[in-house]
Amino acid sequence: MNYLRLIGVFFRVNIAGELAYRINFLFSFFESVMGLGFTLAGMAIIFSYTDSLNGWRPEEILALVGVYSLIGGVIRVAILPGMQQLTESVRDGTFDFTLTKPEDAQLIATFSRVAVWKIIDIFLGLVILIIALARMGSVIGGVQAVEFLGMLLTGSVIVYSFFLILATLAFWLVRVENILTIFLSVYHAGRWPLSLYPGWLRYGLIFVIPVAFATTIPVEALTSRLNWVTLLAAFIAAAVLFIVSRAFWKFGLRHYSGASA
Amino acid sequence: MKALFQMYLQQFKTTFASMFQYRASLLIWMIGQVLEPLVFLVVWSTVSNGNGGSVGDYTTGAFVSYFLVLMLVNQFTYTWLMWDYEWRIREGILSFALLKPVHPIHSFIADNLMSKAIQLPVLTVIAVALAFTFHAVLSVSLWVVLAFIPVLILAFFVRFLLEWTLAQAAFWTTRVSSLNQLYFLLLLLFSGQIAPLSLLPHSIQIAAKILPLYWTVGFPTELLLGKITPSAALFGIGVQAVWLIITFFLAGAVFKLGTKAYSAVGQ
Amino acid sequence: MFRPAAVEDSIVHIQSLSKIYFVNQQEAGAKATVHGIFRRKKTPVQAVDEISFNMAPGEIVGFLGPNGAGKTTTLKMLSGLLYPTSGTVTVLGHIPWKREKTFLRQITLVMGQRNQLVWDIPAIHSFELNRVIYRIPPDDYQSILKELTDLLELGPLLTKPVRNLSLGERMKCEIAAALLHRPQVVFLDEPTIGLDVTMQRRIRSFIAEYNKRFGATVLMTSHYMADVEALCKRVVVIHHGRLLFDGELALLLQRFTSHKTIIIQLSECQADLKVYGEVLACEDGRYTLRVPKAETARITERLLADLPVVDLLVEDPPIEEVIDRAFTEWNK
Repeated sequence: MNYLRLIGVFFRVNIAGELAYRINFLFSFFESVMGLGFTLAGMAIIFSYTDSLNGWRPEEILALVGVYSLIGGVIRVAILPGMQQLTESVRDGTFDFTLTKPEDAQLIATFSRVAVWKIIDIFLGLVILIIALARMGSVIGGVQAVEFLGMLLTGSVIVYSFFLILATLAFWLVRVENILTIFLSVYHAGRWPLSLYPGWLRYGLIFVIPVAFATTIPVEALTSRLNWVTLLAAFIAAAVLFIVSRAFWKFGLRHYSGASA
Repeated sequence: MKALFQMYLQQFKTTFASMFQYRASLLIWMIGQVLEPLVFLVVWSTVSNGNGGSVGDYTTGAFVSYFLVLMLVNQFTYTWLMWDYEWRIREGILSFALLKPVHPIHSFIADNLMSKAIQLPVLTVIAVALAFTFHAVLSVSLWVVLAFIPVLILAFFVRFLLEWTLAQAAFWTTRVSSLNQLYFLLLLLFSGQIAPLSLLPHSIQIAAKILPLYWTVGFPTELLLGKITPSAALFGIGVQAVWLIITFFLAGAVFKLGTKAYSAVGQ
Repeated sequence: MFRPAAVEDSIVHIQSLSKIYFVNQQEAGAKATVHGIFRRKKTPVQAVDEISFNMAPGEIVGFLGPNGAGKTTTLKMLSGLLYPTSGTVTVLGHIPWKREKTFLRQITLVMGQRNQLVWDIPAIHSFELNRVIYRIPPDDYQSILKELTDLLELGPLLTKPVRNLSLGERMKCEIAAALLHRPQVVFLDEPTIGLDVTMQRRIRSFIAEYNKRFGATVLMTSHYMADVEALCKRVVVIHHGRLLFDGELALLLQRFTSHKTIIIQLSECQADLKVYGEVLACEDGRYTLRVPKAETARITERLLADLPVVDLLVEDPPIEEVIDRAFTEWNK
């Protein structure tokens, strides 16, 4: 309960900070709309030459773009800023203050920074998703909806854990903030269905940099492509990766404080 | 002149050392640079295969070589100027550079050249490997190779001066990230990174040929692919030369204005 | 007479504390850079070497030493940020590096060169965060906040974005943020660094007041001897990681004061006083002489006998000079 209150205060503090830069909202909005606009333009050009891409209809790809933007928003609002702040604070030494606090350091590190204005990506993602669903014309059943939400959640947990593992490397490496960008630069590949890619790239996007869990798999749930094996695997992957990332974080902390040296 | 040469040499050394220092981030950056064209390569190959093996004047194999050549050309002409410049202003590094008796552009040029010398061999190996994996089709005649070299060098300088001009925006505003993003999205579309220019809507094709962006990436790529006739190539080189002159004077003028605005604030 | 705190009633207890770092060696030159990718030389650095001392409840101890002496490393081990290589520490009965929540709630660490306040927003928001993190009950929070606001004169500062505050104002807010949970043990690492003299004095008197009001135990490092002189009856001196002195400041000064200054007032500046000692200055017949400590009495006597002295004053040299001398001597 105290955790939730703490997270609430973190959000409040960040909002208070961002309110001082209201103009940033406009720039943020501009950037998001622009990025999405060009993605859609690219889609339009490609679909002017074909009706379906490896069995995926335009509205299904549109749903994929919606989820891509939605999870991208979650990453930019709640995951990336905290992790960036973490690596920065390790470098400039202010991470020491986090460690002297009587609260879980991972919790503080994760939620201390929230980029409130980027919430626009989540909003735009939802809008695109709704338009896509309307175009699909099919009714989404209760089970399907639950599966979809479940996959969004596991996708977010997997992405978070992945980021945490990367950020934890800051305890050993010098300039890790660029390493954090690896997910976002590979994330571009998530705008298209995984089945398009050759085997090695597909496996890379599942097992090395888990983009697939955050994009293709939730949309598979939405478009009745998901089998229960993938579903189960996603849940297990999320649980395992979360535990592993936590263990790695603890290991990193021990290294930071010289316990393993 | 000798001092300038030594400055370049020193900058090469510094860049070389710092790139090895940050080899992990460099590697990741390159993965991103490979992946972007690779994604469009895969998408267009899929479209082409579904269409019976070609779209417009591109066969599946031609798509593969188009996006791989594009990847290398883009790497060759790419600069970090727009971020680097803003960073150097923010950190106060540029203020020191402005006090020195050498124009700050030289340190940026040297930095970019050295980073290319390190990255291009690696990316070339990757591109060749991908060419075999995806069965690229490419046949090049001698005149194309001979024309490609000056075209590529011209493309680099046009893009460098253009991005140098845009980077000067950091003198006036701290919010260059929106501008940078707009520029890179326009570049994505008009330089042919989403699709070869001939597959884009007609209006975009016209706009692309008026703007400089196509001439810095798409044009050299298409030239090497044999999509350009000798007379069109000659015309293209002419356009590049015109843009070189325009950006050269623009870069100088904007830099002068920018430093004036910068020192007026007294930072 | 000074008496070290006994183990049983000490609040901070340090026994044979050592820390060895392994530092990566980076050589210049391209060849070495490439070579460095594959193999890095690791050199051990003994940052802290078998240090032992105790602190009694409510004590303010000055922790002195030149740059790189191991002060910050020691403070980090005491506050739980670093594991020692060997030795034992208990603070408030806890082993710091276990970082138990009950321990962390009772201590604080202030670093003059780093800030914990969020840069872009007013300090009051960062205070709110600490309130939740330290689980300070709302009533306690209000009263301590008021108390700190009065003592440090924070009033209007709390609602301004931290980046708009001056260095001194920011430091006051930093200190307040660090003390909201009323820690019993306070570690201060250069709390007054870079501040102007007035602000230094303000912070100094606040630390004294906080110590008096809450009976907090304070261990502080400072480069400003005025801080140490005003606050610390006892000092612990380390150099190259080794403990060199632990005792009353007055004792340290006495041991390393080799000279005194004698100021005499004559009617004019013409006398040649070289035979009595080193003449540092003369102005309107006012001579400043530097003489060996042991001979002060003898020389004073001679001066009074030989010359028409109007006024005579014997002074200790400034504390900075003495500490400097101590370090120079220890270096040999």
